[in-house]
Amino acid sequence: MRRRVDAARLGRGGAAMWLLLGPCLLYLAAFAIYPLIYSLRLSFTDLTAADGTGRWVGLKNYGDLLFDPQFWNAAMNSATMVVVAVTIQVVLGVALAMFFSLQLTGESIVRGILVLPMLITPIVVGVMWRALLNPDWGIVNWAIARLGFEPPNWLGSIGMAMKTLILVDVWQWTPFVFIIVFARLQSLPEDIFEAAQLDGAGRIAVFRQITLPLLMPAIVFAAVFRAVDAFRSFDLIYGLSYGGPARSTTTLSFFSFQNGFQFQNYGYAAAVAYMMLLILVVGTTFLLRFVPLRPGHAR
Amino acid sequence: MNRLKRRAGRAIAYLALIILGIVGLAPFVYLAILSSKRRIDILTQVPPRLTFDWTTISNTYREVLFSQGMFDFTKNSVIVVGAATLLALIIGTPAAYVFSFMRFRNSENFASTILSMRFMPPIAVAIPLFLMMKAIGLQDTYFGLILPYVSFSLPLVVWIMIGFFDEVPREIYDAALVDGCTHPVLLWRVMLPIVRPGLVTAALFAAIFIWNEFLVALYVIDSRDLQTISLGAATLVSAQRPIDWNIAAAVGVVTVIPILIFSLLVQRYIVRGLTAGAVK
Repeated sequence: MRRRVDAARLGRGGAAMWLLLGPCLLYLAAFAIYPLIYSLRLSFTDLTAADGTGRWVGLKNYGDLLFDPQFWNAAMNSATMVVVAVTIQVVLGVALAMFFSLQLTGESIVRGILVLPMLITPIVVGVMWRALLNPDWGIVNWAIARLGFEPPNWLGSIGMAMKTLILVDVWQWTPFVFIIVFARLQSLPEDIFEAAQLDGAGRIAVFRQITLPLLMPAIVFAAVFRAVDAFRSFDLIYGLSYGGPARSTTTLSFFSFQNGFQFQNYGYAAAVAYMMLLILVVGTTFLLRFVPLRPGHAR
Repeated sequence: MNRLKRRAGRAIAYLALIILGIVGLAPFVYLAILSSKRRIDILTQVPPRLTFDWTTISNTYREVLFSQGMFDFTKNSVIVVGAATLLALIIGTPAAYVFSFMRFRNSENFASTILSMRFMPPIAVAIPLFLMMKAIGLQDTYFGLILPYVSFSLPLVVWIMIGFFDEVPREIYDAALVDGCTHPVLLWRVMLPIVRPGLVTAALFAAIFIWNEFLVALYVIDSRDLQTISLGAATLVSAQRPIDWNIAAAVGVVTVIPILIFSLLVQRYIVRGLTAGAVK
């Protein structure tokens, strides 16, 4: 947004301004803010689909949550997924950005390919990887066996399923970090690097002391977005592992969904969702202290 | 010696580039190949042979499109995506224009509140939205989906459009106002032609988001013949039950092909949309 405040023009919009802005604000108030308040109210009731009344139970749902081992299991799974997946994506994404700045012939085609996974229906991504990793006929296990290794039980074992979920998330979303960091890298003036090289700085020194600090805003931005998206992730889990086996991939999103849709316990599901919102607000407020949100785009 | 080393490095780099391309593309190709096989061949041919039998392919796809309903799901999705994207653009673009060109009390706070809605977990509003749609009698209708989807895509549209409006030189805005242009006319006649790439980008991302959305549809839609494509696909290939893999693969292909075609057509806008909001 333009930082420049034009005092002379401040009131100039008047009625026309509200005509242009009003519909958007009213719409979001009705279909985004109101549902959030509705959800908060639900979280204080014991509303279920079967009994449509829903008595006020105060903080009971939240109290129950704190003593529900399944809630803590889901919270741990969410934390694992966010921290591990985003860390891997940031490291690989930055590496990819550096790699693509070599400007090899045909790199734009490969960049075009790498964008695709992000656009694809998450449900289908889940099915696709269930096929690739199928223990009986999947091509990945066939290749691993051909190379003489013992193929892992990707989605069938409790110890492995979360790693597989993270692997698929990394496949789908590393390009996001890459694209954003790459855009930033392209916008940096060449002469900084040339000057450093003339001064006799080695490649690693240039990367650590010049490139990386300059890329930092883009890296943090991408990491925040990825963290929020990984935290909200639901469809992919639905399509890939359905929270199993033995709840090992049940994240907070999926846990809330199960309570709401499967067990139709709307009050409890809303309480879980509000815990998620709380974590999101606290988390993003903390993270965004390092990088301001600003509309616009990287060039 | 040095030249030899450089050449070897170059070769390794190209090898890495090719591997990256394969890692990105191979899963799609594998899915497409599986969809061309008979159920029994998937279990017995490992890896699948690259021989194709047109009768098998047409049987599978005919079953998926017509017996399993993917054709109707696609039609439903096109209606819902079209209406919701259009509405989001109509409501969101003027708002972005105001946020980019005008200042009023707390305008920055309004803008960042709208933008932060992009972080909202759908799971937090799915149940209330469903209960609201039920209360106003829109459960199990197109409109019951369109209304929530507009609110999901609005923050995205506003966000992307502010970025594009910000690039329009301030002089154009000032000159038009001095000439006595009113804001709606200025927006419609002067600005929209300039920010057309922005409209395409915003429409693209809103449309893909809605095409892929599944959670709200799961709540709002009951009848099978109103299911959208990702909901329909999800019920056909759910991880909970055993499935025929040739059918599942064909369902996946039918679901993603429109996205692939669409994104190839507007490829140059994708990166701009993805990086919308990134630090300059």
